[in-house]
Amino acid sequence: MKIQTVNKYSSLYKQLGWLVMGVAMVTLTGCGKAKSMDQGAITSGQTLAEKGRGSIPGCVACHGANGEGIEAAGYPRLAGLNVGYIEKQLKDLARELPPAGVVIESVSKDYSKTPRLYSDLTVFSPGLRHDAIMSPIAKQLSNTDIHNLALYFASLPYTAKPVAADYEVLERGQDLALRGKAEYGLPACVSCHAPDGEGFGADFPPLAGQPAIYIVNQINKWQQGLRDNDNLGLMKAVADQLTDADKINAAAYYANRSLIVKGQ
Amino acid sequence: MQMKLTRLHKFLLVLGGAAGLAYGTWVAADTHSADDIGDDLPTLDSIEVRASMQRPKMTLPSELTVVPVVKSGEYFVPPKIEDLDDSKYADEVRLGRNIFIDTQHYAKRFVGNGMNCSNCHLQEGRKPNAAPLWAAYPLYPMYRDKSRQVISFQERLQSCFRFSMNGMAPTLDSREIEALTTYAQWLSTGIPVGTIMAGRGFARIDKTDDPSPFNGAIHYKQYCASCHGEHLEGKKFTNRPGYMFPPLAGPDSYNKGAGMHKVKTCAGFVKANMPLGRPYTLTDDQALDVCVHIFMQDRPWDPRKGIFMSIFMPVTEG
Repeated sequence: MKIQTVNKYSSLYKQLGWLVMGVAMVTLTGCGKAKSMDQGAITSGQTLAEKGRGSIPGCVACHGANGEGIEAAGYPRLAGLNVGYIEKQLKDLARELPPAGVVIESVSKDYSKTPRLYSDLTVFSPGLRHDAIMSPIAKQLSNTDIHNLALYFASLPYTAKPVAADYEVLERGQDLALRGKAEYGLPACVSCHAPDGEGFGADFPPLAGQPAIYIVNQINKWQQGLRDNDNLGLMKAVADQLTDADKINAAAYYANRSLIVKGQ
Repeated sequence: MQMKLTRLHKFLLVLGGAAGLAYGTWVAADTHSADDIGDDLPTLDSIEVRASMQRPKMTLPSELTVVPVVKSGEYFVPPKIEDLDDSKYADEVRLGRNIFIDTQHYAKRFVGNGMNCSNCHLQEGRKPNAAPLWAAYPLYPMYRDKSRQVISFQERLQSCFRFSMNGMAPTLDSREIEALTTYAQWLSTGIPVGTIMAGRGFARIDKTDDPSPFNGAIHYKQYCASCHGEHLEGKKFTNRPGYMFPPLAGPDSYNKGAGMHKVKTCAGFVKANMPLGRPYTLTDDQALDVCVHIFMQDRPWDPRKGIFMSIFMPVTEG
């Protein structure tokens, strides 16, 4: 009687053990496969970034061997940026500036679920960003290339090297970054770009760890209408209120910040 | 007999139909020719539209909003934090500022949700039309309808902790209340006691239509959801504790006793401050729509009511 019971339970445990092992093997295999696919995209992104392809030059020529950018020339760092942000910027750079009078197709909405409103029929711009160097390169990239490059650069770690600046410049820059100009309704940089300027999500890129010249150039582009691809037009409204001194002070403050980014 | 009648009937029908068609064609042709003769008006191109031909369409809403122009000197400018010296008073002010902008860390023991003071009092309590501290402090002690008595600034702060922070009211002699009061007093440096300042509280709302939560949900999706989340849950940091964008509903938001739970207060805030950086984007009615949508969401109960009343009583504002 006793022996029979032991045998019975032992077989049950064996069966359970096999079941658990099978489930674990299937799960592990699945995980490994997903990771290897991601790794493959990163590897091909790295190849494209380092060697280029045909008439596409390698990204490393301007954005640094590890995506850290070139400070003196104002070429931005790409290491550790959000995947969605890099993808959107490359697609916006590839987009042609439309000639005047052309109506852009509105964003399609699901009218079966929401009641109609006239504000729903507003024409949205898909986002434009023009750059003399980068736009011709971005036009040659396919969607897969863009995705691979974004994954590769997002996976790179980055450690900022703080740039020294004049004390008064830093103090004014800090005042603008932390408090904005409340009396003029200008919000602080930290309210969207995160408390240390490390950026938040795909809509709000990092300010810390970017070359000061790059930040100033981008605000200038917003003011000149060469860049118009921000969420809800928030940065356009903010950039319109910044003076030349504000741009320099805030950019110097963020170039002075230390920042450590682990790759995603 | 039956067959014959039917045949006759058919014949008559066809005859009548043919006659009718012929008559109709003749009449139509005749009218057309008469029209052609009498028509001496110039023909209109279908694409061309003339001002005199346009009828006003009452169904199309105008999206115009009135954006007030900020003139220099219109709003009070509080002193700068960098100008503080090393005195005890300055230390107290700095502590107050720390509590104000990072309540989650510096006053955690009294906070029951995921909010900071500066989530509503924007830009460290300095922004006009976002309930700035410098406009509030000189008006206390003040009679308040909510508590039906004259209350001090410290007691008002207690109320903030109890309702907007969904926590416990600190005692009047606590470190947090003292520091926050000092910070507010410092921000209002130079304002005479009892002065009503421009930019006090939130913006004024002129309601012209009944607010609709359905339209509000659409406006929320378009203007607010990218930061505050699809379901008003806010957005959390990935690299540190706390919220980057504050939750507007749910367990980590303000409770039903808070001032922001009033639709009109909320609309005044939204109109003058949201989307952040583009104030006065929404019309008054759109702001009210959005706030009714926010008002209808689930959030912590009013601590003045018991659990029974919270469930079975109708929802009241603030």
